Amino acid sequence: MDQKHQRAIAVIAHIDHGKSTLSDRLLQLTGTVGDRDMRAQYLDRMDLERERGISIKAAAVRMNYRANNGETYQINLIDTPGHVDFGYEVSRSLAACDGVLLLVDAAQGIEAQTLTNLYLAVDAGLEVIPILNKIDLPAAQPEKYAQELAQLIGSEPEDVHRISAKTGEGVAELLEAIVERVSPPKGDPEAPLRALVFDSVYDSYRGVIAYLRVVDGRIKSREEIAFMVTGVEVEADEIGIMAPDLTPVSELETGEVGYLISGIKEVRLAKVGDTVTTRHNRAAEPLPGYQEPKPMVFAGIYPIEGDDFPLLRDALDKLQLNDAALVYEPESSTALGFGFRCGFLGLLHMEIVRERLEREFDLSLIATAPSVGYEIELTSAERLEVHNPTDMPDPSQIESINEPYVDVMVVTPTDYTGTVMQLCQGRRGDLQGMNYLSPERVEIHYKMPLGEIIFDFFDQLKSQTKGYASLDYEAAGMQPSKLVRVDVLLNAQPVDAFSTIVHRDKAYDYGKTMTERLRKLIPRQLFDVPIQAAIGSRIISRETVKAKRKDVTAKCYGGDITRKRKLLERQKEGKRRMKQIGTVEVPQTAFIEALRVDSDGASS
Amino acid sequence: MTITTAPSRSRSGEWTAEPGFGVYVHIPFCRHRCHYCDFNTYEGLDALFAPYVDALVADIDRWVGASSPATSVFFGGGTPTLLAPQQLGRILAALRARTGIESEAEITVEVNPETVDEPVFTALLQAGFNRFSIGIQSLAPHVLEGLGRTHSADRALEALAAARRAGASDLNADLIYGSPWERPGDWVRSLDGVIAAGTDHVSAYALTVEEGTPLHTLVATGRVPDVDGDVQAERHAVADEYLRAAGFDRYETSNWARPGRASRHNVLYWSGGNYAGFGAGAHAHVDGRRWWSERLPRDFIAAVEDRASTEAGFELLDDSQRGPEALMLGLRLTSGVDLSALKVLYGEEFLVAREPEIERLVTSGLLEQSGSWLRLAQRSTMLANDIICRLL
Repeated sequence: MDQKHQRAIAVIAHIDHGKSTLSDRLLQLTGTVGDRDMRAQYLDRMDLERERGISIKAAAVRMNYRANNGETYQINLIDTPGHVDFGYEVSRSLAACDGVLLLVDAAQGIEAQTLTNLYLAVDAGLEVIPILNKIDLPAAQPEKYAQELAQLIGSEPEDVHRISAKTGEGVAELLEAIVERVSPPKGDPEAPLRALVFDSVYDSYRGVIAYLRVVDGRIKSREEIAFMVTGVEVEADEIGIMAPDLTPVSELETGEVGYLISGIKEVRLAKVGDTVTTRHNRAAEPLPGYQEPKPMVFAGIYPIEGDDFPLLRDALDKLQLNDAALVYEPESSTALGFGFRCGFLGLLHMEIVRERLEREFDLSLIATAPSVGYEIELTSAERLEVHNPTDMPDPSQIESINEPYVDVMVVTPTDYTGTVMQLCQGRRGDLQGMNYLSPERVEIHYKMPLGEIIFDFFDQLKSQTKGYASLDYEAAGMQPSKLVRVDVLLNAQPVDAFSTIVHRDKAYDYGKTMTERLRKLIPRQLFDVPIQAAIGSRIISRETVKAKRKDVTAKCYGGDITRKRKLLERQKEGKRRMKQIGTVEVPQTAFIEALRVDSDGASS
Repeated sequence: MTITTAPSRSRSGEWTAEPGFGVYVHIPFCRHRCHYCDFNTYEGLDALFAPYVDALVADIDRWVGASSPATSVFFGGGTPTLLAPQQLGRILAALRARTGIESEAEITVEVNPETVDEPVFTALLQAGFNRFSIGIQSLAPHVLEGLGRTHSADRALEALAAARRAGASDLNADLIYGSPWERPGDWVRSLDGVIAAGTDHVSAYALTVEEGTPLHTLVATGRVPDVDGDVQAERHAVADEYLRAAGFDRYETSNWARPGRASRHNVLYWSGGNYAGFGAGAHAHVDGRRWWSERLPRDFIAAVEDRASTEAGFELLDDSQRGPEALMLGLRLTSGVDLSALKVLYGEEFLVAREPEIERLVTSGLLEQSGSWLRLAQRSTMLANDIICRLL
């Protein structure tokens, strides 16, 4: 189809603001999905996504829309992930679009991540169609939030669409607005092929399916193509469109959105942001904006049953086929055995990976406290990158430590301004500015260490603002910090799984929290067990698990030796399942409990 | 085989290498079931007393097991003295006729203070019993009340005195310590009381909250505080101190005796000896085969009436299991176990495999070794399970 009749749009919205429901309505209204085939949240493929009500992987769908002017338009709807961890993927989805639908819950107003994505869209020069959803809800305040949206994007409150994706009210008008207000793409059909990969998923039957938008030129089935960033050269086995099921076509023209299957088996060879060109008529330059996925959060993941290590390796290998951002390498811990140090885009990404490992591969896992990546300069002028606290050299060898910082944006009702500032200040935040969205809502900017955010910052923010504040952040480079490693020792033996890097001012609190927590988790043994927290050789906190005094059955009733033996065999089996740290027997549950991140602010 | 895995003592107090042969008889009836009790015993089955005695006698009559005469007999319960002395005597006579009972044998019957008086003791002595184990539990009224015992402290002491008057020469006082109702002074008074009353043997058991008992429910729902292991360890130490001062020696975790008064039947259990068991839910062991009979009195009676076996289950242990089991049992005895005897009986292999662990425990002072004898250190007594399960 000619470019004039094409529109590619994305919906940017906060989790739960109704993006998937709106997509469903658009599919139905354009007849893309028959009423009979409709199921809720059609575009979210994985069970996990459906259950959590969020979209992890972007999907796209083509809709043919007959407008009021009698002409038929091809509208490509590109779904975007809604979480801070996937900001880069969002940016690539937006780069494949001509305009965006800014979808905001009329009862809640705009949230921080949506704001970030809106700024991205505005910076990319995309037409923004503002929409308030859920106007059917009793709590909806469309007037108030229309004002807010209008001010944000520099338009009038009357221009803000008011819809209910659930009932379908106002959705038909939206389709007209897309055709009228969003400009068609402006690619060069005669230039060499340049198609932007805006999503890439692994399918166990078909291999990698790359979703792309043809920016310049055209792509034909069976053509030899090249991925310009990775340098991979393959044949386009199949190209097609999503209508919404994968439907092969012989070619995709300039401006069209479709998919490509090429025999590639791993998503990291067909990465989001890469540019596809033809092998024999290469484009001179790839499309701008490609970034390597950069892991920001690291954690050790261990099987609870040591025998499951090979299963965990296989599972990670399989997940990586589908997740270019997941990195891992084997590591071993004296406390936890053999496992992997994994790198994630963020906490949600970590949670998703862990949940998929447990759910899809039936593994029971234990994760260490999350950590960030540190740059360490040694007194010998050598530089190190450390992802695991145990790799941190002795304090005496360290010249300086840099840690990653992030620009944090919090959007909150003004009532909670002080609360939010106090929280950020307490996490070593540095106020960068504030912007009032309306008299009731404010956007607050802080620069903060990422390491402070990964310890339950989000949960604290939510609970201290009764759920009203929202958070977004993006990487803001490395900065030197006064950091120390706190070790935890059981009976003078360091337990690597509990070592953490924290700011010097917080070391004491961390040490105290961990030793107190472990004192409650470690069962009494045959001798006193000192639990210490230490920085290098300096002990900063100490607790003792007193030796147990009684562990004996009173009698053997009526000669029932069998029962007594079974009792002791069970006790022996219990011992076998414990981890031996020096002479101390530590139950698995103690590690799991101690490493749980909880609300008192310490990693645990 | 005349080798024993642990030294036992004859009634005259002499060491003997002969492990002997025991007989256990179970009487599964109580007037009132105590809330902490998880034994195989039932209230309100008075109608079964007579058929049960008949069944026991018939089951003993048809016994075809080991033929050596019993060196110890133990009538436990339940409350054996709910049965008339004549009924108990009839069962004992059946045993004497069937398995034989050595003239020096220790013949114990458990006695509940409220079911006995001097004439009963006299009748029991005449029936052939020569040792009474009296369930005193405590001499503190509020502890007795907490435990749900219906006798008074005075009644308990009176039972001891009545037994003496009837001519009993071998008395055990059964005590329970470390219950949530007990204060430190209560325990000392109970010990003093039974020592003063002239008991020959004291069994002192830490109260255990067993799953499935009413007490367990009371504790689980917070209506009664749980027992405290530290307190119980402390009370055990107090018992040891008081009883030693009064001339008792502790020969097993929970058992103290005046010289020569250690219970031979008790020691038999802990030295891996052979014993027959008669009655509902009774356990027996002969040479590595352990078995137990039908738990419910009516099932036991029915099996005997049908001329069917009363056996409800069994297990067979080979040498590789008997060795560790002998360690598990023998280490409860103050004397410990004779490793050289174990080696002869069950082979060397299981000991070789456990040598490093034994060495570690000896080095850390939890076990003591002298010559071929291995025993728990004094401080390990109340930690026996943790130590022993490492050697299983």
